[in-house]
Amino acid sequence: MSLITTRPEPGAARPYAFPQVRRISAHGGTVIAAHLPGQILASAVLLLDAGASRETGGREGTATVLAKSLEEGTKQRDSAAYALALEGLGAELSPSVDWDAFRVGVSAPGPLLAGAVRLAAEATRTPKLDPADVTRVRDDEVTALRMDWAQPGPRADATLRADLFGADGRYSRPLHGDPTSVAAVTVEDVLAFHESWMLRPGVLLVAGDLDALDLGALAEAAFAGTSGELLEPSGPLGVVLPPARRTILVDRPGSVQSTLRLGHRAPERATPDYVPMTLAATVLGGAFTSRLNHLIREVKGYTYGIRGSYAMSRRSGRFEVAAGVQTAVTAPAIRDTLGEIERTQAEGVTEAELEVARSWRAGQLSVEMQTPGAIAGALATLVVHGLPDDYYETLRREYLEATVETVSEAASKHLAVEKLTLVVEGDGAAIRTDLAEFGELIDADV
Amino acid sequence: MIARVTSPTAPVATTGYPWPIETAQLTNGLRVVVSEDRTAPVVCVNLWYDVGSRHEPPGQTGFAHLFEHLMFEGSQHVKKTEHMKLVQGNGGSLNATTNPDRTNYFETMPSEHLELALWLEADRMGGLVPALTQETLDNQREVVKNERRQRYDNVPYGDAWLRLLPLLYPQGHPYHHATIGSMEDLNAAGLDTFKAFHQQYYAPNNAVLTVVGDVRAAEVFALAEKYFGPIATVPDIPPAPDGSLPDPATEEARETITAKVPAPRVYLSYRTYPFGTAGYDAVTVLATILGNGRGSRLYQRLADGSRIAQPDYIGSYGVDLAHAPAPLIITATAKDGVDVVTLEAGLAEVVQSLVDEPVTTEELDRAKALLTTAWWRGVSTVGGRADLLGRYATQFGDPSTAADRLPRWLAVTSEEVTEAARQVLRPESRVTLTYLPGESA
Repeated sequence: MSLITTRPEPGAARPYAFPQVRRISAHGGTVIAAHLPGQILASAVLLLDAGASRETGGREGTATVLAKSLEEGTKQRDSAAYALALEGLGAELSPSVDWDAFRVGVSAPGPLLAGAVRLAAEATRTPKLDPADVTRVRDDEVTALRMDWAQPGPRADATLRADLFGADGRYSRPLHGDPTSVAAVTVEDVLAFHESWMLRPGVLLVAGDLDALDLGALAEAAFAGTSGELLEPSGPLGVVLPPARRTILVDRPGSVQSTLRLGHRAPERATPDYVPMTLAATVLGGAFTSRLNHLIREVKGYTYGIRGSYAMSRRSGRFEVAAGVQTAVTAPAIRDTLGEIERTQAEGVTEAELEVARSWRAGQLSVEMQTPGAIAGALATLVVHGLPDDYYETLRREYLEATVETVSEAASKHLAVEKLTLVVEGDGAAIRTDLAEFGELIDADV
Repeated sequence: MIARVTSPTAPVATTGYPWPIETAQLTNGLRVVVSEDRTAPVVCVNLWYDVGSRHEPPGQTGFAHLFEHLMFEGSQHVKKTEHMKLVQGNGGSLNATTNPDRTNYFETMPSEHLELALWLEADRMGGLVPALTQETLDNQREVVKNERRQRYDNVPYGDAWLRLLPLLYPQGHPYHHATIGSMEDLNAAGLDTFKAFHQQYYAPNNAVLTVVGDVRAAEVFALAEKYFGPIATVPDIPPAPDGSLPDPATEEARETITAKVPAPRVYLSYRTYPFGTAGYDAVTVLATILGNGRGSRLYQRLADGSRIAQPDYIGSYGVDLAHAPAPLIITATAKDGVDVVTLEAGLAEVVQSLVDEPVTTEELDRAKALLTTAWWRGVSTVGGRADLLGRYATQFGDPSTAADRLPRWLAVTSEEVTEAARQVLRPESRVTLTYLPGESA
């Protein structure tokens, strides 16, 4: 007997549907919940309009220090009692900060979720914020950042961001600050941030088996005692490109790899080109079979992996290629990468490539959105970007209907190979000379 | 089935797997496991091959893992770049992992592409060797060397696992060397060795096929027969070297590394029991009490109490290996101004407290509640469930025993935790790996 030689045809596809969404308004806030019948685990995220963009200049990292201070005790109980109460429900607090929002997440078996949300809200609304604790957490965060910055990547990321968003205040600095800015954060900064941004009701996102969850009780747990109006959103920062390409070297003596971060600015998330841009980036550097991964990893063997993508927040966006390449092939790897970006910008995509990209992106909406945590995250995207409840069905259709023309047009419009900033973090002594071929070379001061 | 209430409000877990499980075996020996769940239009196909780095003879370290890479580079009817393209191009996610015990391959697809996934897996099980070329081997060897640089060599403390294994397991033991292998062995790898490796181990009678999600079991069994049925049984597959050990170790082992690290860090490690045993269940609960979460002893005493350890870098966990006593790893990183001697002494003291101070009901309930949530998180995707069933079918011969793990964790008593601590956490059995900041020697 022998193997079946021909590839099977697909069966009949079941129609895609995002989980049923229910909304209630109560206790001054809104609960948006997705129904996942049969899921034993449930997730909740308290979403507050208190992102890093609200931090003061020079004190970048204030929101992160606050996030890490929330579990140092509340007005009701000390930190050890708080940890035991929350972890006794099987839940752990996941506070996080991004450009647009402050999120406090908890997951627990369904029957325990309301108790976990009550504790999450207790830490979020009424943290003790004892000055000695906040100071210690701040110092720990400085140490943790130094640990993180000893890895390849964070210095390159900060260098690229400073170059792309140099004139845009908070956006020119790392999302979580750097060791210097966090060291400058004071107890007063943290208290003021909490007072200004953490006491409005916000939105509670819930994903789980809603037949076993009481949304009214969850609303009360999340919003009781809060007040204040929704905040007015600010406008986009725009797409500013430099006159010419340049290279910035971040020295990492003895590094066996060079960390590449090549990028330029792009539109914000609300751009009407979101779908064709995402598909163009998928063809260039998103899928495993992308042009970049195929050439740099599979053909040349320079790297373990290379990715190209657009990252977009409410007010800003950027295109970026990221990879770690073997030190000896740093220049050839950059040369080949620029070649693929240039080709994609000039010639667009082919139908065969686009077919992979659109099916993959559409399929990922069901394949990658199975867990309560992933669904709660998808609900958060709807809130942050003002999207309707049927957005994911629409997005899937737009992916599947995108044409070679629209995607190629987006590549031409939103890729700018001549305007890239090339940040290279690696062994300067070994790679400096080779970098000369890419134009002006600057040494980073991070 | 054992039922226990973990706290006044927690639900009673009598099973960790409340979905149906159906099994079949093809005449060539391939075991097929199916678990139907219609809630989402997705399906995961997962292959566990009972071959890992524990099977590698001296001079061939890293071969099982390099082989995993070769499995994505085309087979008899699948062209060189087609595998990834067909999975992603039909909306799927895929990956593969290799560890000391086994190699697994998996893809989650929109369910209408089930048959495609089975065809791809069958073609590379039964038809890899004719497609394997020197060029592919050379290229993937470079990719794996880049993986080693990126994950282990270019990262502070990145080589800790590589250093702990030879301290924990004696020369010649199947867990002595790390799965990623050595650069020298990888450089020496020849094409014929890999062809022989595939013919030896990638056999239907050495694998478990698990399919979970939007499918019917009867349909999967028929498709498995259609695609995998033609693949021949491989007789007399040699077992891996024996992993049994006189436990626990009787001689302390220690290594101190001076390297470009940002702060002193200590790893304490012990050989415990094989994954799947009652002893290892107690160790799992013990590790959670000791180092998982802010309510753990390590966090409470070293990060919150004496404040000698950095709160973000403290923890303890077991590595779930099944073919020899599995490692327990405990780690802490010094805060600014704290010397490594103080840190190690503090760590050792908290570890010893598990022997000397009874585990309280609160500590035990906290650990069980966290393990319960972690369990349900693990099975909240079809991919998580497929891997779980594949593991239990491969390592214990019966996928339905996966349902017992959570109830068994919940049945562990505080006396059993203390007894496990007494047996396992002996100072004379300890492995200590220390990193100090400085220029590498």
